Amino acid sequence: MKSNSLFNKLSSRLDELSNLPKLDDEVSISKLVEEKGFSRREFMTWAGAMTSMLMLPASFTPLVAKAAELADRLPLVWLHMAECTGCSESLLRTATPSIDSLIFDYISLEYHETLMAAAGWQAEQNLENAIEKYKGRYILMVEGGIPHGQSDYFLTIGAHGKTGEQSAKEASANAAAIFAIGTCSSFGGVQAAAPNPTNATALSNVTDRPVINVPGCPPSESNIVGTLLHFILYGTLPALDVYNRPKWAYGLRIHDACERRGRFDAGEFVEEFGDEGAKNGFCLYKVGCKGPYTFNNCSKQKFNQGTSWPVQAGHGCMGCSEPDFWDKMGIVHEPLGDRLYHTTFGGLGADATADKIGVGILTVTAIGIAAHAAISLVKKPKE
Amino acid sequence: MIKLIEKIEGEAKLNFNFKDGKIDFVDVEFMSTRNIENILRGKRAFDALVINPRVCGICGHAHLIATVQALESCYDNLQLSNKAKAIRELTLNFELIQNHFKWFYLTMFPFFGHKQQILKATYPTQLMSKAIAVFGGQYPHTSYAVVGGVVCEITQMDIIKVENYISQTLKFVEENLVKIDSKTLLACKDADALLEFSGDLPDILREIKNTDMINHAKSYDRFIAFGENSFFKKGKSLKKKVSHSISLKDVKETEMPTSFAKNVSYKEKYYEVGPLARAMVNKTALIVDAHKKYGDSLYSRILARAYEITELLNYSKKLIKNLDLAEPSYIEPQLDISKLTSSGYSAVEAARGTLIHKVEIEKGIIKNYEIITPTQWNLSGGTREKLGVSQKAMVGLSDIKTAELVFKSFDVCSICTTH
Repeated sequence: MKSNSLFNKLSSRLDELSNLPKLDDEVSISKLVEEKGFSRREFMTWAGAMTSMLMLPASFTPLVAKAAELADRLPLVWLHMAECTGCSESLLRTATPSIDSLIFDYISLEYHETLMAAAGWQAEQNLENAIEKYKGRYILMVEGGIPHGQSDYFLTIGAHGKTGEQSAKEASANAAAIFAIGTCSSFGGVQAAAPNPTNATALSNVTDRPVINVPGCPPSESNIVGTLLHFILYGTLPALDVYNRPKWAYGLRIHDACERRGRFDAGEFVEEFGDEGAKNGFCLYKVGCKGPYTFNNCSKQKFNQGTSWPVQAGHGCMGCSEPDFWDKMGIVHEPLGDRLYHTTFGGLGADATADKIGVGILTVTAIGIAAHAAISLVKKPKE
Repeated sequence: MIKLIEKIEGEAKLNFNFKDGKIDFVDVEFMSTRNIENILRGKRAFDALVINPRVCGICGHAHLIATVQALESCYDNLQLSNKAKAIRELTLNFELIQNHFKWFYLTMFPFFGHKQQILKATYPTQLMSKAIAVFGGQYPHTSYAVVGGVVCEITQMDIIKVENYISQTLKFVEENLVKIDSKTLLACKDADALLEFSGDLPDILREIKNTDMINHAKSYDRFIAFGENSFFKKGKSLKKKVSHSISLKDVKETEMPTSFAKNVSYKEKYYEVGPLARAMVNKTALIVDAHKKYGDSLYSRILARAYEITELLNYSKKLIKNLDLAEPSYIEPQLDISKLTSSGYSAVEAARGTLIHKVEIEKGIIKNYEIITPTQWNLSGGTREKLGVSQKAMVGLSDIKTAELVFKSFDVCSICTTH
């Protein structure tokens, strides 16, 4: 059986890991979790949820649980570059004060500027020590875009005034795996929006080592933790899409699993915020949802422990896990279809085209979707 | 001696100069910038609603509300329903509350010989973030407020959820922060009576009072708050005298040669912003009493920020009770943004104090955008002749650890400051 061979492979990987020394001999993650008042049952429930998120069968739950318990074999170094700290917020603070954050707190304290108790010289020393001590073993997570080349002085870190670019390069050189957390370190992010005044760029542009991108602004806490667990389980890099995003999280469009998808198919659209359609949870495409062009699992995982996500709140997706979404996914409250074919049809845009000229050849998804939205309007005139 | 301050959001470099064993001058320097204002120029006006929350992941919601209000101020006769106003106020309150918890348990706690209380910080923070997510879809970085209202169409079910998050958070306060019924706390008008209670806040306050820390961190005793809503008042407080007629025209931003941050002054003078400033302007009895007894010291500053949690939770309960779900969430502006050439501004009370946004629009395109953040007010790095608010609070101290505590009692955030 196929899943059997995978099960065996992951089991032997975890056995290997368990032979590595722990961060601290006195403490184990399972004890830590227990001390904080989580029962074994709660821990296993959490592991079960993680298992399904990583698209593994339920029988793998014990393995995922074991992987979480082995997280302290692979220390984590978290670096802040030019950013807003929103990703750490997403993970360490707005996430559950639960198993995810507990594990992260425990293994990542080596160097995390926001949380770290040490400051200044000592902090910088800690980072250097961690890099030296765990050479080739630590996982590097970088948050934030990196001012690059001639403009690297826009970000200096630490008491020695090292530039962000230098720090990122050095930390990348000896990492076992490198994850760019958030759209900024994945693709440059908000500070890289035109005219990119600080010449900010993606982590993958300053190091020649492979970088896994976990974009999103911010990415959901589950994608960050999932990425870590995936690496612990497999020991290899996950299957990636063309932008180096893990396929288990970024393999589908927001649109594919959207709770309002039925409305889209039925041609029921919100025409304007606050209208009857908005009250009835109609599709948000016409008020600017970029879900059809955005690859992420928000529609399944949601945010803040599954409380909600932008589409549920009635806003529509902004495409925040796509490269350069600031410049390419605008205009914020208008469908992308309006803009894609801006030049072709004299600035009328694809929606207008569909309405006025009639639908041509619908080969591209984008124009297909835009046209669908437009036709539905024709078919269902406003009363 | 140069000291690097971290564990504020981002980094700042403080250069301490000593004379006769006492701090005589502190140079504050920020070492990074992203230049967001530059990025906004030439963009479509509504794009600011998506870009600006990203100025700061810590107080991004305040930036969203400031942006939407600045854009709305560009219109004549723009209509906004009471429901939309109240929902925006609620989510902003929730952001303030969760921020204060993080500051108290992650930043302040370790200074008083306690371990950082990560779980005590994350539990209420998570509740409040969920409450924001019910309205806004996610936290951080929601863009649910749009020109004309909010996009969410909440139901009674959502109200029940949010009410539950609020009461859970209040319960946490009553079981940890100040171990007493919150009604009793809100009725307390005597800053010393508070010391009789048990809880994490009175513990710290007692410690401050029993040492010479009580005299620390005094600054100019000048406070200002521009953000106005149904709870906060706008005004300034000078040596206990409160005046509500202040104008943004007198606020000036100036470049500094050594740092990426800019100085902010009101009528050429530096003012303190933040919860203490708000409480002074609002004449909150308990805080005014603390100020009367202990001045604008560490004691008053810490108390003001922590007390605001209970106040805002209690007030949010009222706001929710008065919500009329039948009102519209969004009223379409009569003029299309692409036809609008105008300018406007807004002032919002963020967790750390007054946040100001100014915008100029030409046919729907942003011509100019200026952001003045709370930490810029408190951390304006003055010269020896004219010290900034936090500088003045640190001068005269004899050890760097206390200076760091004083510095952090302003809850500084360099991410915003060097936007």
